[in-house]
Order: sequence, then C-alpha cells, then structure tokens
Amino acid sequence: MAFPDVQLSKRPLHFIYLCDCSGSMQANGKMQALNQAIRQSLPGMAEVARQNPEAKVLVRAVSFAHQARWHVAEPTPVDQLQSSWVDLQAEGLTAMGEALRLVAGVLRTPPMEQRALPPVLVLISDGAPTDDFEDGLRTLMREPWAQKAVRLAIAVGHDADLDTLQQFIGAEPSSAAVPPVAMPPVAGLAAGGDRLPGEPVPRSGRRPLQASNATSLAQYIQWASTAVVGAASMPVSQVGIPSTAESNVPLPDLPPTVIGQVVW
Amino acid sequence: MSALLPVGTTLQFQGVSGPVTVVRLLGGGGQGQVYEAVYAKERVALKWYFPRCIAKDLGLEQRLRECIRATSPNQSFLWPMALLSLPFETASRLSIPPESFGYMMALRPADYVGVHEHVGGHLQISVRNVLRACFFLAEAFHELHLKGLCYKDISLGNLFLQPQSGRILICDNDNVDVDGRDLGCAVGTPGFMAPEVLLGRMKPGASSDQFSLAVLMFRLLTRHDPLKGKLELQIRCLDEPARRRLYGEDPVFIFDANDERNRPDPLDHAAALLTWPIYPAHLQALFQQTLGAGMKDPSRRVYTGQWKTGLARTLDQRRLCPDCGQEVFRDLEQASLCWACGGPLNPAPRFHTARGSVAAQPDNELHPHHFDPLASERIDMPLAIVEAHPVKAALLGLKNLSDETWTAELENGESSPVEPGQRCNLSLLVRLRTSLGSIELIR
Repeated sequence: MAFPDVQLSKRPLHFIYLCDCSGSMQANGKMQALNQAIRQSLPGMAEVARQNPEAKVLVRAVSFAHQARWHVAEPTPVDQLQSSWVDLQAEGLTAMGEALRLVAGVLRTPPMEQRALPPVLVLISDGAPTDDFEDGLRTLMREPWAQKAVRLAIAVGHDADLDTLQQFIGAEPSSAAVPPVAMPPVAGLAAGGDRLPGEPVPRSGRRPLQASNATSLAQYIQWASTAVVGAASMPVSQVGIPSTAESNVPLPDLPPTVIGQVVW
Repeated sequence: MSALLPVGTTLQFQGVSGPVTVVRLLGGGGQGQVYEAVYAKERVALKWYFPRCIAKDLGLEQRLRECIRATSPNQSFLWPMALLSLPFETASRLSIPPESFGYMMALRPADYVGVHEHVGGHLQISVRNVLRACFFLAEAFHELHLKGLCYKDISLGNLFLQPQSGRILICDNDNVDVDGRDLGCAVGTPGFMAPEVLLGRMKPGASSDQFSLAVLMFRLLTRHDPLKGKLELQIRCLDEPARRRLYGEDPVFIFDANDERNRPDPLDHAAALLTWPIYPAHLQALFQQTLGAGMKDPSRRVYTGQWKTGLARTLDQRRLCPDCGQEVFRDLEQASLCWACGGPLNPAPRFHTARGSVAAQPDNELHPHHFDPLASERIDMPLAIVEAHPVKAALLGLKNLSDETWTAELENGESSPVEPGQRCNLSLLVRLRTSLGSIELIR
C-alpha cells in the first residue's frame, strides 16, 4: 500500500572546482586547508542535494599546476564523493588558462546533457596564471553553458591576482569582454531558458571572495557548495519585486560572519 | 555555522517573563537561525533573525506582533508564541546587535520530516496519508484565510509531515499578513507563486495562496510539478529567466482540460502519468479548475473549503485492490479497474449515512460531518473506524469510537449493543443505530 516508487525527473547540476595546486599553495598549510575545506563542505552539500527533488548534483574537480588535469574526472554524485575524495597535492606553476580550456571541453553538448540546471564553477587560486589565461577564458566563454554558469572565485591569501579572478567571474556589464552567445535550441524545438530580447546581459555582480585564513576559506567553500548550489538548483523564496535580476541565478547573501561584523 | 546566540547560556529576553536557556543551534537559513531552547521547563524553538533580514523587512516586527496576538489558526502551524529581544546591556555584552529580535514557537517533533523527503521519493508513505496531509494542508489554509490572514510563501521548504499519520506542520509563519495589506516583503517561491505574483502584477494574498496550495498538493499527490511537461523539455538551461517563462509568462497545466501543449512526456515525466490516474475525477477537476481557468483569473480558483470537501470525499472512497492490495480511490458504486495492476474492481461494500458514503475497508473512518449537515469536514476526530479482526484478518469490524452505545441490527433480525471501544462484525450487519443517525451497510 505504499505510494508508488516514482519521483520527479531530475536535471543534472554540474559543480566543478578549479583548484590552484601551484607550489605556493604548499606555504602556510594552504593546500591542506583547501582539502579540509572541501572535505568538510561535502556533507552539507549532500544534504542540500537531498532536499532538492529536482536536481542531481554532480561534482568534478580540476587541479592546475604545471598543467591542468582532472582530479575528479567523472561527474560524481556528492554523497559518493564523501568517501572517495583524494587530497590535492601542490607542486609547480599555475596553468589556470589550461584549466579553463579543460572545463570548456566538458561544458559543450555532448558530453554535457541537452537539458540541465545552471552549472556552478568555483575557481580557487592563491596566485597569478603562468600560462595564457586570456585564451583559456575565451575558449571557456564560447560555450553557452559557461555563460549560463554561476562563476565564483576564491582568492586564497593576499597574493592572488584579483583582476584575473574578476575576469573569470565576469566584468561589470558595461565592460563586457565577451559577447553573449545564445544557447542553441534543442534539436527540433524552440529555444528556451534564454534571455528575452532587450533583457540585460546576465553577469555576476560578485567580486572575488578573499579568504585570508583557513576559517574564511572553509566558510566560502561551504557557502558555494550549499547556498549557491541551492540557488542554482531550486527556486528560493523571493523578496521584494519578483523579477529577473542582473544574473540568471540569484546569488544568496554571504553568511554574516564572512561579511564581517560591525562593532557595537 | 556559527551561532548568533550564545549556546548553553540562560538569557532573560524581553517579551517573556522567565529566563530562556539556549540549548543548541538546530539550523540556519537565509533569514536567521533556529535554536532549541528551554522556557518554563518546556522545550521550545527559538528563531533569531540576521540583522540584515530585519533591515530589509521593515514590516517583520509588526507582522509578528499581530500574528502572536491573532493566535494560531489551528494545530497545523508552528505559530509564533512570543516576540523576543534582548535588553541593551545584555546585547552589548554578547556583541549581538541590539535591534535584533526573534520569536519563540513550539519545537517540531522529531517524527515530522520535511515534505521534500516524500517528493524526492525517500519516504515510505501510503497514498491515504498523502491525501490526509493534503486535507490537513487545505484545512490549515482554510482556518488561516477565515481569520482574514494569508500565508504568501508556501512551498516544499516550509511544510513538515508525519508519515505515519499524514499530520502536517507549517513553519516560517513570519510572512503571514492581513490579506490585502501587504506589510511584507516575501512574494513567494518560483514554481509555487501564482503567475500574476511572479510577473509582479499583483501582491501575494489569499487568492495567490489558493494557487500555491494547489501546486503544493499536486506535488505531494503526484511527486511531480504541475507545470513541467513538454514545454519544460524545450528549456535547455533551467534558470531564473526560464522559470519566469514556464511559471509566469506562459504557464500551462500539464493536465489542462483544453490546452494540450504541455502534456507530460512518457519518459521524462513518468511520475505524473503514473500517479494522476490514482485520483478520482472529482478531485482532478479541482486541479484543472485552479490550474486551468484559475491560472490567469484568480477569482476562478478553488476555495480551501472546496478542497476539504473533495479530499474528504476521496478518502471516503478508499479501498484496497483485491488482487494487488494497492489503495484505489474510485467510485464505490461502479465497477472499474485498479490503477496499479489493472485488475477488475467490483462495486465495494460501503456505509451509507445521512451525509456520505464510506467504503467498508480497513482504516477507513466515519466522522461527524458524515451525519451532521452543519459540521464542516474534519478527519482528526473519527466516530468509527474499520478494523480487521486481530486473528481472522479477513473479518472486518466497525469500531465504535464515540462515547455512546450503538445498536447493531443484524441479518437474522436480532439486534445487539455495541459499546464504546467495541467492534461490530460487518459480516452480519445490516445497520447501526446511533444518536447521530443510522449507518447502513450496503453490499
């Protein structure tokens, strides 16, 4: 007499970490802090995934040093990743541009599904790219799924190249470096999910998140893997005027402790 | 997550007479954090807002004060009981912004789970209890609307369910407002919001609640979204602009009586196609009205009282398929087919009362509204329930849950008293005489 064993069909939500594993990440335990932060964030991410009947959250990770390579190549359900996460190791240079090209390769269809939720890309770096970042970004942003993606950047320590990270997130709308590319329609069907004519170009208004210590790094990773995943995958309660903001995914507020408390 | 309030300490809040001990942080969301606390030796829940939430929502404190004064519409709400703030000195000492506040409410029992557990297919629950949950939901909104209030922001996120009973609890009642006043800033959740609210043409109120209620009940009854059909498959990236189109600009119910553009896809929307036929036509018609004519015209939406009537009637029609044992909700007087196994169903034995007809099947209940023309539907105070014999399961009896003795008239012409708490064997029964009226058994 049980309710039939059926459920709402799920759309994939691809969550991709792009992790700087250059030699400088060895200093001051930054690499260990990042590994810890990601590990610690996984249970919360799994809970958000479970609470959302409409999304199948799949995680991947790219590491970049001398070269970029897939650290987690298979799109992995977040609950499985908890037992299979292998720590990142720091060594070498900062092939950030190559990392973006690598990600560009999986954001085209195929291998990307015909239908999905907006992907979430989280770029974490403590330095500046040592390869052709501009070319990597151009390659990435040619992909419509990359344009639809929520792109976040976390600067570890004080030496991160904030301008580069800002470029990844997307500049202010007025200085758009990349012309918008319309999502090609599903074969035989009209295009959907795109901007309406005359709507502003969706851009993330966010700045790179500056993690000056292990605690704030962990909080940012937690925020990206829970609140942002939630916002990208399921509609959240809206306040004020219900309309499309400048972004195609309304980014949640940062936790108050990260914003920094004012002294009273 | 770091706690806004000092866990493990006892504080003297303004708004309550005694001290409150903050026991532990239960969770946090976009608005604030919820704690378990102890007040007057009772475990309670305490919600404490982020300062930025208070700054954004200027009507919050007034709404909460009025909610507390209005008192809970019924037992299905985790209603605010007291508004709490800290004296200036205490707040300064604890580095808590002095303008912060929160409220106290009942603690949600551990056996209530978020309804997303059901919608996500993680829960064992009977169709009966899902229908009961819908009834309790309609009843809760009925009582809320009768008080002149509206909820504004119902979604899967603020509803909890007790799977063994179908009882519900509605939380986040801080958006509740006097209907039509708009002292709030919440407008709703895309996918649950009425189209006119999503498009910013109307403020949320009781009539948009009626829309959201229908969406939420559809999602509980089918584990599917009422607007996700073929039109959804045309969307590649389901982001905010796409949701605006799907739920606001061109919303089409997947089972719309006239518009077939958004029918479910056999592969992608299998849940809807499997579960929708479970429900009787009179219940389906309520969805088709609210999500059809009522989609664009708020005045055409089904009222909460109509939902209560339709859901109570559906529960009365519940019987078990003799072949597969699944619950079936078909017209009792006509032969039909089981939705699950396709097996034949003959007209079912049923109780006739002055105001209703209830299938004589285990766990089905008779309620005051089956007798009293003035009683509105309630399903939490049954007068009688059908039970199987503890040893001979095939033998059914009707248990007298009232506090009066009934008289059973049997096939052999004899009669027998049925005391409160006793069961009357249905195999011999013709009718029961009660002070409320007679209960005829139709075979």
